[in-house]
Amino acid sequence: MNIIRDGDVIALQGHCRVEDAEPLAALLHESPGATLDVSACESLHSAVVQAILAFGVPIVGQPAEPFLASLLIPALARSATAGRPKV
Amino acid sequence: MIDELLAQFLVEGREQTLEAGVELAALHRGARDPARLERCFRAVHTLKGSADLLGFRPMGQVLHVAEDLLGALRNGEDGAARFPALVETIDQVDRWLDALEVGGALPADAETVAARLIVHLGGDGETQTPRALASDWDGAGLFTGRSGVAIRYTPRADSYFSGDDPLAVIAAVPELADLRVSLAEPVNDHVLYDPFRCNLVIEALSTADLSRVEAALRLVRDQVALATIAPSVPTDAEPARRTVRVDAERIDHLAELADQLVVAKGGLAELADQVERLVGGQALGLALRARRLELDRLVEALHTTVGQARMTPLAPLFGRFPRLVRETAAALGKPVSLEIAGGEVEVDKAVVDGLFEPLLHVLRNAADHGVESAEARSAAGKPAEATIRLSARTEGDQVVLEVADDGAGVDPARVRARAEARGLIAVDAVMSDADIVDLIFRPGFSTRDTVSAVSGRGVGMDAVRAGVTRLGGQVEVESRAGAGTTVRMTLPIRAVLAKLMVVACGAERFGLPLESVVEVARVESASLIPIRAGHAFVLRDQVVPLIELGQAVGGASSPDASGPRRVVVAWADGELVGFAVDAVLSRTDAVVRPMTGLLAGAQGVVGSTLDADGAVLLVLDLAELLA
Repeated sequence: MNIIRDGDVIALQGHCRVEDAEPLAALLHESPGATLDVSACESLHSAVVQAILAFGVPIVGQPAEPFLASLLIPALARSATAGRPKV
Repeated sequence: MIDELLAQFLVEGREQTLEAGVELAALHRGARDPARLERCFRAVHTLKGSADLLGFRPMGQVLHVAEDLLGALRNGEDGAARFPALVETIDQVDRWLDALEVGGALPADAETVAARLIVHLGGDGETQTPRALASDWDGAGLFTGRSGVAIRYTPRADSYFSGDDPLAVIAAVPELADLRVSLAEPVNDHVLYDPFRCNLVIEALSTADLSRVEAALRLVRDQVALATIAPSVPTDAEPARRTVRVDAERIDHLAELADQLVVAKGGLAELADQVERLVGGQALGLALRARRLELDRLVEALHTTVGQARMTPLAPLFGRFPRLVRETAAALGKPVSLEIAGGEVEVDKAVVDGLFEPLLHVLRNAADHGVESAEARSAAGKPAEATIRLSARTEGDQVVLEVADDGAGVDPARVRARAEARGLIAVDAVMSDADIVDLIFRPGFSTRDTVSAVSGRGVGMDAVRAGVTRLGGQVEVESRAGAGTTVRMTLPIRAVLAKLMVVACGAERFGLPLESVVEVARVESASLIPIRAGHAFVLRDQVVPLIELGQAVGGASSPDASGPRRVVVAWADGELVGFAVDAVLSRTDAVVRPMTGLLAGAQGVVGSTLDADGAVLLVLDLAELLA
């Protein structure tokens, strides 16, 4: 199990694969105010990333894996800011 | 909203066409400078973006093709043959900006013109843009100021089904420096969201060689666009300025307030004097005086700063001329090249605004009358292409603008003949060649028997002189037979804070420029020496002529001949002259505005200012008063 829900926080752990995209999408659909914790994440499949973007969920945590830490998570944070409705 | 965007585009678009035009001209002349190409590319790129944003499609399409071409040139392709088409494109964009400024829309023929230009820009097909660059994406906008290989990867919708993980592919690209991930299409309905249909666009920047990036992406090559982003241009030469656009009216208002502050401050000096004269008021008066000095300094600084805010470079004004001169030259069938120098010189905005008409007229005149036909030039052993040089430089607090052509020069004999025929001068008038050539500025003068379609629109050089004089400047012409004509305009860079001495003659008060005043003397009437119709007096062993200032300015003053006279001794045309006045009132700092309207030609008057009481004070030009 790579997706753990604790209240409003959904944590992604280890390697998130293509098959995790469907349950994550369903979970994000159910919990509109949720936050995604990626600190224990080791890799993210494109399909999972796409679900994160599609539901515009805010991300917290700093993963250890270099590609995630230095490029992918900052890119997602940027997209989330860009995609959120202007206040 | 669109109106604001359009207004902004009209300002910035001009700057970008100017920049592109300047760089293209230099590149066309053979400069092999990547920085120039880069600036040109960026200007065109920004223009294209704005045109697209505002929905000016033909403009956007042409610029798009021009941008592709510049991108290819930037990548080292030889495209010198295409420069004329690029210049023509920028000229056309400038014309379209004219149309947008007037009517807010592109002219009806824009589509046709655009299509023709696109064909023109396409060249002969010998050079091919590299495949990756042929797409409508160049990566420059995304990773501005960076260098490397920009990647845009749009995976096929069935990528996940076929077992691909596009991000893993990108993660394998060497030396990744930046990454952007976004949805290809927005997801509006979360209920129907399909997690297995790939809907991503991945953009990345790698600092590795193009070949290594291509190798890493070889399996998805058909879904990837690559672009080499040139190393960012070093900006040492032009440090980025932090600028804010401010409505000129606000600056004018600010300048007016600063002027009024100078006037209001002037009242304090008199108050301090009054306080000091009060019994026991000396200490307070001194304190007031000290405060006034500090206020003086601050007001002066404020005035200078506001004045500087009004200063604007000549480059945008100059940038409007290359196209207009090209058009004029084409209409006349004369090859003419316009060289521009000194666009960085900054002058008061009012001066810049007022210079367009006079300069345009002089430039057209140079192309029309100054420059000979190509055949005549060849016969005279000159290069067929004539050169007109427009330049600006500062000289002290003045700006000198010159329009110099390498034509045949002005023929004094012809000017004289015409002036005599027009009754501008007497047939037997004795005049130097310089004075004769200066006659071209007289109203009603035209050196051509037939009015040309280009410069003869019922406006003569007299309009140029009038325009420059309105700005407080002077214009003169210098001609070298066979070698060319130079029209030189000398204008004040800004309205200066002049130091004035205020004097009274009867009920009138006048300002005299303090810099010309040597001293104020007391001369006994008995020691006045009658000389012909006037008087003189001896000042330290020197005989100084005495002028009644009141009479010199046309007043009917009848000086009281008995008592001692107050005499302001001043330099006028290199000579010491005494000006008899009734009283010397004060010294003051004031902004002198040139006279306008009917008074513009008033003899001996430099301009006017408001004195401490808010009354208008005429400021005199002592030398001119004596002339």
